[in-house]
Amino acid sequence: MILKRGLSYTLLFVASFLSLFPLFWTISTSIKDRVDTYSLPPKFFSFAPTLKNYTSLFSLEKFWQIYSNSIIVTLGSTLICLVIGILAAYALARKPRFRGRTSLEGLMIAVRALPAIVLLLPIYKLSSYLGLYDSKLGLILIFAGFNIPFAIWLLMSFIEQIPVEIEESARVDGASTLKMFTRIILPLAAPGLVATGIFVSLLSWNEFLIPVIMAGENAKTLPVLVASFISNRTLDWGPMAAAATVALIPIVLLTVVIQRWLVAGLSSGAVKE
Amino acid sequence: MSRRKNLRPVAQLTIPTWIFLALVVLIPFFYGVYISFLNINLASFLPPSFVGFDNYQNVLAASETWSTLRITLIITFIGLLTQIPIGVLLALVLHENLRGTRIFRSILITPMLLTPVAVGLTYRFMFDTDLGVINWALGNIGLEKINWLGSQTSAFFAIIIVDSWQSIPFVMLLVLAALTAISPSLYEAARVDGASTSQILRRITLPLITPTLLVITMIKIMDFLKLFDTLFILTRGGPGNATTTLGLWTYKTGFVFLELSRAAALGVIITIITLPVYFLWRRASRGVR
Repeated sequence: MILKRGLSYTLLFVASFLSLFPLFWTISTSIKDRVDTYSLPPKFFSFAPTLKNYTSLFSLEKFWQIYSNSIIVTLGSTLICLVIGILAAYALARKPRFRGRTSLEGLMIAVRALPAIVLLLPIYKLSSYLGLYDSKLGLILIFAGFNIPFAIWLLMSFIEQIPVEIEESARVDGASTLKMFTRIILPLAAPGLVATGIFVSLLSWNEFLIPVIMAGENAKTLPVLVASFISNRTLDWGPMAAAATVALIPIVLLTVVIQRWLVAGLSSGAVKE
Repeated sequence: MSRRKNLRPVAQLTIPTWIFLALVVLIPFFYGVYISFLNINLASFLPPSFVGFDNYQNVLAASETWSTLRITLIITFIGLLTQIPIGVLLALVLHENLRGTRIFRSILITPMLLTPVAVGLTYRFMFDTDLGVINWALGNIGLEKINWLGSQTSAFFAIIIVDSWQSIPFVMLLVLAALTAISPSLYEAARVDGASTSQILRRITLPLITPTLLVITMIKIMDFLKLFDTLFILTRGGPGNATTTLGLWTYKTGFVFLELSRAAALGVIITIITLPVYFLWRRASRGVR
């Protein structure tokens, strides 16, 4: 035992409080009246909740368009990551040596290592030639490209848990590679696909730098909207907190669902399994 | 069926991934290098021309490049010194497997999942000089109000606080994984030999998690170089350029001052800075497990 039991618990409680307070504060600010928001001492519980901030947020021009952009871009890029990722993950998990393996792994790590701004400058220039600037399709493709390494790392760890013997016996029975993949690997890796899907959609949902550079008025996503509150000189914290809450709530709900796989996902790529 | 027939389709499975990575990494990278030798300004309609190493000369001669690099290093240094010890401490406490550990772990992970932009916004409200809950709490214990985002030193601390809030869980998780991998028999043997808790910590635990700590350090260095969202929301690199890191400076050069080619040259320089860390990371991560 490193610390006395009492000290350990104190530390855990303090850390938990500090971890949750900002989340609590955002949500509570989002349902406060202006007067309560600006009152000193701050009102933690004794205020009359109101939905005013949400009504003013939802009545923002383009709010729903922005919200649906976020959902479409997140779902689209996640789908690509899963379809493409499971193929590559299978190859990387099952075959220790094949052509281009080392370069592929090097590229995957490069995505994690390089600051995205370095790649986004040229991508910005290229995408205006291709007509992909300020389009949802453009965002979907770029998000997918940046998130594929994470999807592959995570899916690899799930495929590695499937016993090779199952595949070998299927092969002995004369199953083709395609059949084996669709009949054995996919069903067995299904929980992994769900977990990876949720994890990758978190990454897309939270992404800010890519849409701030690549999206104009049409393809704007939620984080860009949230950030745009800051540039207004009249800081109105209520609707701002409502916008932040709208961005945060889906994450909190999803992470409750994937608690089990979360740890593997969050450390993926950092440690070679 | 021959062996070769079985092997070939496997490499083909990676082709779609290759295409995507070529689209977002390979092609942009080389195109970025190419742009860095032109004189593209996004506000100008003149056709770009080849200028050789001019951008590099300008960038290396500009004081902002060096001052923002220094700021990046300072934030990285303080950040590492804050996040690694706290992350290790929390991991050690979680590793004791006290009752309720799983719930505590779930709670402690939460910050790293949340949208950085939204988190930044919340903290900006909490850091508010007059109305913020942080200054109110400081006032309660008799401390002066701090104009958190108004001066360089306090803004550094504000940035470190927010980044640490989001990053400590990551350090904690990786260290926790490393702790779990240590065989319990090692501890038992040490205890039989009469080793004290602090001896066990210094002689067994710390040496065995050192490779993981190295990996974390590499990843964190790269993440500090990438730091963008929280900076953008909290200070926009201000006051002035007092909290602008090299990455944010590259963004400003390209998309605020519209000097795309000069920003591309900065990008190449960042890549060169990242390279040693990248290779050290690959080497260090092979040592882990």
